[in-house]
Amino acid sequence: MNPPSSSSLPFSRDKMITGIAMVLFLAMLTFFLLYPVVDICRLSFLKEGKLTFENYLTYFTSPRIFRSFTNSLYVSLLTMIITTVTAFFFAYGLTRTTMPGKGVFYTISTLPLIAPTIIQALALILLFGRNGLITRYLLGTDWNIYGATGIIIGECLYCFPNALFILYTTLSAVDTRLDEAAQSLGASALKTFWKVTLPSAKYGIASAAALTFNLTITDFGIPVVIGGNYSVLATEIVSQVFGLQRFDLGATISVILLIPSISAFVINYYLTRKSYALISGQARPFLQPSRPLKKWGFTVYCGLICSCILIVFATVFLGAFVKTWPYDFSLTLKHFDFPSLGAHAPLWTSFWISVLPEGTFRTMIAYKYAPIWTSLLVSIVVAIVGASLTLLAGYIIEKKKPKGEQILYTLSVLPAAIPGVVMGLGYVLAFNKPYFFIYGTIWIIIINIVISNFTLGVLTSIANLKQIDKSIEEAAVSLGSGPVSTFTKVVFPLSRVAFFSTATFFFMRAMTTISAVIFLISATIKLAAIEIIFLDVDGRTASANAMCTVVVAIVVGALLVMRLATGRSALGGMVSSKQPG
Amino acid sequence: MGRNLTLENLTKRYGTLTAVDRVNLEIKEGEFICFLGPSGCGKTTILRMITGFETVTDGKVIFEGKVINHLIPQKREFGIVFQSYALFPNMTVEENIAFGLKMRKMNPKAISKRVDQMLDLVGLRDWRTLFPAQLSGGQQQRVALVRALAPDPQVLLLDEPLSALDAKIRVRLRAEVKRLQQELKKTMIYVTHDQEEALSIADRVVVMEKGQFRQVGKPIDIYKCPSSDFVADFVGTSNFFKGLRTHDRVQTGPWEFEIAQAGPSQQGKVVLAIRPEKIEVFRPGEPANHLRVSNLVPGKIDVVTFLGAAVRLVVNINGEEVISDVIEKEFEQRGLKQGEDILLYFPPEAFLVYPEGEVAA
Repeated sequence: MNPPSSSSLPFSRDKMITGIAMVLFLAMLTFFLLYPVVDICRLSFLKEGKLTFENYLTYFTSPRIFRSFTNSLYVSLLTMIITTVTAFFFAYGLTRTTMPGKGVFYTISTLPLIAPTIIQALALILLFGRNGLITRYLLGTDWNIYGATGIIIGECLYCFPNALFILYTTLSAVDTRLDEAAQSLGASALKTFWKVTLPSAKYGIASAAALTFNLTITDFGIPVVIGGNYSVLATEIVSQVFGLQRFDLGATISVILLIPSISAFVINYYLTRKSYALISGQARPFLQPSRPLKKWGFTVYCGLICSCILIVFATVFLGAFVKTWPYDFSLTLKHFDFPSLGAHAPLWTSFWISVLPEGTFRTMIAYKYAPIWTSLLVSIVVAIVGASLTLLAGYIIEKKKPKGEQILYTLSVLPAAIPGVVMGLGYVLAFNKPYFFIYGTIWIIIINIVISNFTLGVLTSIANLKQIDKSIEEAAVSLGSGPVSTFTKVVFPLSRVAFFSTATFFFMRAMTTISAVIFLISATIKLAAIEIIFLDVDGRTASANAMCTVVVAIVVGALLVMRLATGRSALGGMVSSKQPG
Repeated sequence: MGRNLTLENLTKRYGTLTAVDRVNLEIKEGEFICFLGPSGCGKTTILRMITGFETVTDGKVIFEGKVINHLIPQKREFGIVFQSYALFPNMTVEENIAFGLKMRKMNPKAISKRVDQMLDLVGLRDWRTLFPAQLSGGQQQRVALVRALAPDPQVLLLDEPLSALDAKIRVRLRAEVKRLQQELKKTMIYVTHDQEEALSIADRVVVMEKGQFRQVGKPIDIYKCPSSDFVADFVGTSNFFKGLRTHDRVQTGPWEFEIAQAGPSQQGKVVLAIRPEKIEVFRPGEPANHLRVSNLVPGKIDVVTFLGAAVRLVVNINGEEVISDVIEKEFEQRGLKQGEDILLYFPPEAFLVYPEGEVAA
């Protein structure tokens, strides 16, 4: 029984370095996280410089705008129910049956994470839209998927892997011997499921539901593309700000959106902790072979869901390469020659001009691909900066435990609760000032993405550092190592894998994120993921597909590089420490 | 003073909990000291205050005549060996050993010479390029031992270094630590909860309980003359009887034992302790006339356990269990069996007498 670890060690230099780092982190999170959000709240209560509730009154009394609130709740609740139920049975199949192909199913189910959320909407439009392959071409019907139906189906596909990870972890942690004990006491299989399996996973189920709700209500990409006239909170904010220049109403709707999203986040956070507390460290006994009906039933079920996910990707890829969907399926590369959109990436442009021979290909790569190169640059910087900062923050929180460590932890976890659209608008309101020189550069975009995704990075870093025995650091110190060399020679090498998987996560988010940065791009600085929306809005659906394909290709490329570099799947290591057997 | 390490009224409190309570000790250069006590008794906390990883609430840690309470761990130049080995998993055996030397900015040639020397000390020369995960627990702890010794620390502190190992390896490594200590004449402070380990390895043993020192002394003195019933119980095995003393008689249950302990004669409530190997066993009818009848008690063998060289009998006397150890050879010759009625003899001079109170037997 060791005494509680002391927080007041007499290392003066160590303490000083920790203190400085701590102050810097707090300053960074206060300025780039709290300040924008507080500024939004402030603006929502202002009308011509006076403190008032008028904006809220306007919102709740104009039915056309207020609709977005009820719409958002409707869409999010339905998505929550459908996703949680389908993901639960998928996770059940992976953990409690002896169906074949578990590894393949699991891998396919993670795919939605590597693409921008709009990929779901693009695919649904290609299949069920006005000119959809199935609706128009095969069935010849006038029905289409725009509106609530499209949003719900799209969100279900996008939220699926996120809900699945929680449920998978929960179900693989709950001791299967409980099920066996119930059955040996004479309970039928169905009764065992209702009385033992389901109750023991209740926290995981509720946590998955809360997360799905949060993801759906804060998402912007899917509703903007497939929503049509069906407005939700996130799209309403953007259209108030961009369309009508009503920053005050945008801020008001942001505050209204913050309430359900923060509640869902807090619920998810506490339930996850509760559900992990239930995890028993005992090894799982061998699964008894499932009865054929159960085994093949689950195989078909999981196969169907995986097909849906694969069809989404296949449709968008195909849509990028065919001449005129759905009438002319001859292959072409012309959609990859994006219309010149006025974007600049001067460094890249001069780089490509120096390495490529003159011609239309060089023009395309050097000028028209500028948003892609900007995205790539932003993503690489975000990956390195994000992974380094979160590793350091995690180290301070987990190992150094200075005074105020709890505040740093709370601030680090907070970004996940704040919808991207709100963060983006907050940045515009807070930093669009002449003296704030990085506004309008890629640096504000980089900072925004790093801060918006800080939560997962810090949590990964903490989880990894928890596994490093305290004595290892003490051994280094007792051998004469100072705080810096202890970190660089011992802690960092032991966190390498976590560092790379966090870097991959940041890279993926930077490549695919839409909601926050849509407020921060400019006429010259554009990002690939945002271009997908603009191309789609312009009616260039095929080019939108092509851009989406490029984004997915870059993310897959990055994942492969990371896999080669670390010898393990970065995606698997990041989202869950447990891989299915 | 020399390189003596002194603890003066050393105290550690966590809020209202006192983990270490005003302890005093002088450790001489080259001495092998062992802190022994049950878990939670504060022995590791003392060690951590000596290393500097734990702040001192009150009192002093003095080394070479100077108070070092506020010296950072890096400056103390004490080597530490951890229970969990704490080898750097990302470095090879030789890199682990060289780490402390590099931190002290030794030149590369001197480092490699010193690493060789250290590897030879524990016979791990062939394993130098392996990583810790490729070694057995015993080998890992050997590496950890020489890693701590490599920078030639003033004092070596070992925090339950063998607790994570198998019984056999534990005994072998224990001997190796003792040999190293005698060869290098290094001051070593060793923390353990294993009384056998403490008695076999240390020059002096400090028995701790509830943050306080119960007894400090040579192993043999601690075993033979435990200063309290707690020490008698914790170090080795003892049988206890609560009773009422009048001069050289102690009334306990239906018996009145005769005792032969000199010194301050505590009257009134006492606790008698007796080691299992001191109790003699007779079969009914065996000549026992020369013995004092008052100390001869009939009983029945309940359980027989082989310990190797000795056999442990649990004997039921009037509903109470008494442990008695008999040499294996004797056990065979006399054909003692479970369920058999026997007589136990408690020699008066074998009884240790303690005042009843502080510790329940």
